[in-house]
Amino acid sequence: MKRFSLNKMLVWSLFGICVLWLVIPFTLAILWSFVDPSEPWTPDHLLPPVMSFARWEYLWEHSSLKVAMLNSYLLAPSAALLTLTLAMPTAYALGRLHFKGKEAVKLLVLLPLVVPGFVTAIFFTAILFQMGLHAWRFGAILFAHSILFLPYAIRIMSVSFEQVRQNHIDAARDLGATPFARWKVAYFPALKPGVMATLLIVFIYSIEEFAIAFIVGSPNFTTIPTLLFTNLGANFIRPNAAVISLILVVPNVVLMLFLERLLKSANPALSSGKG
Amino acid sequence: MNTVSVQNVSMRFGDFTAVDDVSFTVADGEFVTLLGPSGCGKTTLLNVVSGFLQPSAGKIEIGGVDVTFVPPEKRDTAMCFQSYALFPHLSVAENLQFGLKQKRLPAAERKQRLNDVAEKLDLVAQLEKLPNQLSGGQQQRVALGRALTMRPSVVLFDEPLSNLDAKLRESVRLEIRKIQADYNLAAIYVTHDQGEALAMSDRILIMRNGKIEQSGTPTEIYNFPQTSFVADFIGDANILDATIIGQESEDFWRVSTEIGELLVKSDTPPIAKRLKICWRPENAQFGAGEMNSIEAPITHRAFQGNYTDLFIEMNGVAQRVQWRRSHLEDITSLSMNIRPEDIIFLEAMT
Repeated sequence: MKRFSLNKMLVWSLFGICVLWLVIPFTLAILWSFVDPSEPWTPDHLLPPVMSFARWEYLWEHSSLKVAMLNSYLLAPSAALLTLTLAMPTAYALGRLHFKGKEAVKLLVLLPLVVPGFVTAIFFTAILFQMGLHAWRFGAILFAHSILFLPYAIRIMSVSFEQVRQNHIDAARDLGATPFARWKVAYFPALKPGVMATLLIVFIYSIEEFAIAFIVGSPNFTTIPTLLFTNLGANFIRPNAAVISLILVVPNVVLMLFLERLLKSANPALSSGKG
Repeated sequence: MNTVSVQNVSMRFGDFTAVDDVSFTVADGEFVTLLGPSGCGKTTLLNVVSGFLQPSAGKIEIGGVDVTFVPPEKRDTAMCFQSYALFPHLSVAENLQFGLKQKRLPAAERKQRLNDVAEKLDLVAQLEKLPNQLSGGQQQRVALGRALTMRPSVVLFDEPLSNLDAKLRESVRLEIRKIQADYNLAAIYVTHDQGEALAMSDRILIMRNGKIEQSGTPTEIYNFPQTSFVADFIGDANILDATIIGQESEDFWRVSTEIGELLVKSDTPPIAKRLKICWRPENAQFGAGEMNSIEAPITHRAFQGNYTDLFIEMNGVAQRVQWRRSHLEDITSLSMNIRPEDIIFLEAMT
C-alpha cells in the first residue's frame, strides 16, 4: 500500500516536471511563433489574438535562416562522424588494452569538460586562426566541435569497447576469421549502441553549440544558434526567436526518438547465455 | 600417426613460468586430458596448442607440420570455449556455418556439413533460434558443432562442461566422447574435474606447476599413482610416511609407518629408503586379517549414500575408510586390514 502511493507520487512528480520543463515552454514557443505582426500578444489575452504563419514566412524569406539551417545540418553530422572517428583509437586503448596509469588517462580525457565553453572558445579560436583555418570557417568550427565533444565520445566508446568479449574475438579467430570478419562479428555488435549514442550526442551538442560557432563564424558564417542569439540581442523580437528555437529543437527530438528505438533493438551482445 | 606433437614447450610470462618444458603427443582419434588444479598451466598449454599464445621455447607440430608460429586463424585446430563464445546476434545455423563462410566453402557443402552436424548433435529444431533462446546444454552442443563443422585435425576443449549442472554434465560428457569417436578426431581436453577426466579420457596428463606430473590411462593413474600429489588429486588416498625395514621376498617389502608396520606388495621396488606410501579408502577389508590388521576408534563418520566415510585415528594420524554397507551407526571402533597389494609406493621423502 505504502509502496503503491510512493510509486504514484513519483509518477505524478515526473508528470509535473515534464509539464514544467517541456510542455509549458514548448506550448509557449509554438504560440509565440504564430503571433501575427498585425496585432501583438498582450498579457490580457490567453491566446494570441491573431494567429498566422507570417513570422515563419518572413524569417524563411528575409533572414539567413536557410543558410543557417544548411550550415547547421551539414556541420552536425560531419562533427558527429569526425568526433567518432577521432575517438576510436583512444577508446580502443582505454577499453581493450592494459597499461599503467589507465585510470589517470581516463580522468585526463574527461578534464576538458570542466572548462566553460566560452573560455575554451575564445582561446581555441586563437589556435584555430593560427593554424590558418580562418579562411575556411566551416572547417574551423567542425574541427573545434570535434575536439570539444571528444571527451563524451571517448567516454562512451571506451565503455563500449569494454563490452566486447575477448572470447568472441578468440572464437572468430579460431574459426579462421580475417581481421575484418572479426571486427564484424565480435566488435561491431557490441559497439553499435555506443556508436549510435555518440553520434546522437555529438549531433545534438554540435547543432546547439553557440560559443565557438559565434566567435569563429561571425559575422559571415551563421548556424541556427548564432541566428537565434542575434535575434535575442538588441533587436529582440520574441515571435521570431520562437520560430528559430523551434527549428532548432524539433529535429533533435525527432532524431532522439529515432535513435532511441535503434538503441532498444540493438544490444544482443550483452545477453549471451553464460559467462 | 601422431596428430599433435608438443615438444619441450615452455611458456614464461616475465618471471613466472606457466608451462615448463612439456612434451606429449596425441594420436589420431585419441582423447587426451590435461588435468590439474587451477594455475597448473593446463589452459596456457591449450592456448599454445591453439595458437593464441606463442611458446617461449619448444615446438608444436600438427599433422607433422611445424605450426609453432602459425596464428590460430590459420591453424587446423578448433576450440570449444568454456563460456561457449557463441555469437549472440547470429542464429544457431549462422553460428554453425561461421567458420565455413570464412573458409569460403561453396553453399552446397556448407549446407551439407550444417545438416550433418545439426543431426548428430540434435540441433535441427534449434537452427533458427538465437543462442540466448537455448538451454545451457544446447548452447554447449552448438559450440561443439561449430568446432566440428570445421573438420579440424584436433579439437581443443577448455573446461567445456564447467557451466553445466551435474546431471547434464554426465550426458554431455558421453555425447562429446561419442561424437569425437564418430569423427575419429584427436582431442585435447582441459579440466580440473577428475571425474570427467577418468570417465572420458584415453590418456590423462596430470599437470602441476607447469610440468606433467604423471601420464597414463585412467586406470593406470588411479591404480598406480606415482606421487602423493597424483594419489590425492585423483580419488581419495590415505598418504603415509614410511621407512623400508626389509624385503621379505621378491615383491614384498616391510615398512614402518605412523600406523604400525605394514607389508607392501609391489612390482616396482621402492625408490628410496624413506618414502611416501598410500592406500585407497575403499580398499580397506573388513575384520582382522593375516597381515596389516588395524584396530582403531572411529572419530567421525559421514554418510555418503552408497557408502559411508569413516575416519579412524591411530597414533595421532587420521585415516579415512570408505565402507559400502549401511548400519554402521552403532560401531565405535573399527577392525580392518589392508591387503599388501593395495598399498602403493610413491615418491621419496625430501
